[in-house]
Amino acid sequence: MNAKMKSSMWLSGGVILVAFATWIYQLQEGLILTNMQNSYSWGLYISGLAFFVGNAAGGLVLTSSIYLFGVKKLKPLAKLGALTAFANVTAAMLIVLPDIGKPQRLLNLILHPNFMSPLVWDVIVLNLYALASATYLYILMLPELTGRLAWLSIKVDNVQEFSEKWAKRLAPVALLFAIGIHVVTAWIFSTQGARDWWHSPAMAPDFVSVAIAVGTTVVLLAGALAYGTGEEYQEAFRLLGLIIFMAVCTHLFLMMNDLVIHAWYGSGETQRIMEIAWGHFVWAHIFEVAAPLIGAWLLLQPAVRRSMPRLSFSSGLLIAGVFVHRFLIMPAAYNNIPMTMTPLGLPHTDWSLPIATGRFFPGMSTFIDQYRYIPSSVEVVILLGIVAYALLLILLAIDRLPILVKEKP
Amino acid sequence: MKMGMVIDLEKCIGCRSCMVACKQHNAQPPQTWWNRVFTPGSHRHLTPPAKGVEFFLPVHCQHCENAPCEKVCPVGATYHAEDGAVLIDYERCIGCRYCMSACPYGVRQFNWEDPEKAHVRSEYQEKYHYGYPEDHRHEGRLVYMPLRPKGIVEKCTFCAQYRDKGELPACVRGCPGKARFVGDLDDPNSEVSVMIKQRNAFTLLPEKGTKPTVFYLPPKAKEV
Ligand code: SF4
Ligand code: SF4
Repeated sequence: MNAKMKSSMWLSGGVILVAFATWIYQLQEGLILTNMQNSYSWGLYISGLAFFVGNAAGGLVLTSSIYLFGVKKLKPLAKLGALTAFANVTAAMLIVLPDIGKPQRLLNLILHPNFMSPLVWDVIVLNLYALASATYLYILMLPELTGRLAWLSIKVDNVQEFSEKWAKRLAPVALLFAIGIHVVTAWIFSTQGARDWWHSPAMAPDFVSVAIAVGTTVVLLAGALAYGTGEEYQEAFRLLGLIIFMAVCTHLFLMMNDLVIHAWYGSGETQRIMEIAWGHFVWAHIFEVAAPLIGAWLLLQPAVRRSMPRLSFSSGLLIAGVFVHRFLIMPAAYNNIPMTMTPLGLPHTDWSLPIATGRFFPGMSTFIDQYRYIPSSVEVVILLGIVAYALLLILLAIDRLPILVKEKP
Repeated sequence: MKMGMVIDLEKCIGCRSCMVACKQHNAQPPQTWWNRVFTPGSHRHLTPPAKGVEFFLPVHCQHCENAPCEKVCPVGATYHAEDGAVLIDYERCIGCRYCMSACPYGVRQFNWEDPEKAHVRSEYQEKYHYGYPEDHRHEGRLVYMPLRPKGIVEKCTFCAQYRDKGELPACVRGCPGKARFVGDLDDPNSEVSVMIKQRNAFTLLPEKGTKPTVFYLPPKAKEV
């Protein structure tokens, strides 16, 4: 283990501890420590759920490319893909915990599940996908589970062949769950007829394309950090760059298509949504479009893929853009009060019924119809803790398990 | 039996008595209001938005027949009681707040902190407690507590604790304009059913397809 890796691990461990303590504090005091309130009832945590779910798509892209489409060049990255998928999908489940008001009652999800609820579907697919990526990773590692790790291995005749065969068999199943997590997470939002910003059939396919873009970027970045940017990896990186660029373009197309259709008709809801989205949040919106596009375009350039700092910068830019995109799921949904009507006798007037905040804010009215949500430091620390968890898990696995392919591809 | 409510907007004087009765009887924590009365079109209550136009709109849970809050609830904490009221089981709710996003009427309220602490934060008189004093179970499920646990969602219950004793909801009793009526929507001859038919009753946000069981009777235009 090199010194850089070691210090990253210590740093992640420290952040996790601080975040855990912060969560305990939040458990004691309640969600009053966040900056959410009744009219803005989901914030950074649920944006984080969507973000981590997207990041988990790397495994999907790699397994399907390698085992369904036969792209052998990507094979050295297969285990890394499964690992980042597992780390991110578990992170997605973890970030929901601090958002739950009564986590001690989570068992109710098993005792009294309501199968009408997309949240129950999401819990199921996220768990299945976590299980599938862990199993998949295990099967890929099997041939190398020798020596110190022999106790982890199972007895089979030809381990190489066994691993190959089962990886191939598992690939379509894993692919199904992998698509499932993006579609179902999108459905949590897009089934909500109350929120015009979410209620769109474009959301599920858009979640899949964002996920393919950002999930692949995570694998590309992890691969470059682990193997370097040597010539022997350039072909694999080039392929990933291509996938990323196409996915970003599909995402932007789906998003713009939706916006144009709604904006063209110009209904009251759309006008209100546009005012929020393009008013106060205009810079965030420009960033969510520009950053992934520029990042993906840079990754198409061979010179960028050959230089570690440039590759990291471009990947980072894309990931940051997607994070902002996830953050923007909320404002236009919550600041557009669904209970908006045309009062009798006042045609062409939109009027929103204010909502009680449910918590005391000095200097703010109890009833509001607009709210500027900025996450509290508690929310930020807990989110960083989950990022650190994913990072530490990946680093530990690389250090302890045969994740990286030793010989040249 | 299907519970329903009719609110006559012609009779509503916008006094907010029902808001206060609801708040007090149901021991709602500070800043939590199950029932809101506003002046549509105006940013100030009791101020006409335009000359000759003024009416008041009380809104609380609409006890929807096709209730999105019930459908999204992952643990079935939000449920339809036998009589059609939509209730929350305070023992079951995990506080995911999914229902708050799903409800188009903005009536669901979360307990962001312990109510006792909220009282202190809002500088309520020390040790002053208001509201129905005992826990109440309806069909075996805990639907009312004078002190709510932090981290769960609450909303209008049509005053389950009073109805189970044969009494009317606090808002109905507390309305000086006698603008509120409850009754059986399944019975075509009940007072509420007749009013709905004869007075062109409407529901809020019919386009959302929630099928509310709270109906409003339109007011006449006023000379203000
Ligand atoms: S008004 Fe809202 S909380 Fe009440 S039943 Fe309808 S959707 Fe549920
Ligand atoms: S907050 Fe409670 S009542 Fe609402 S959806 Fe979640 S578990 Fe159900």
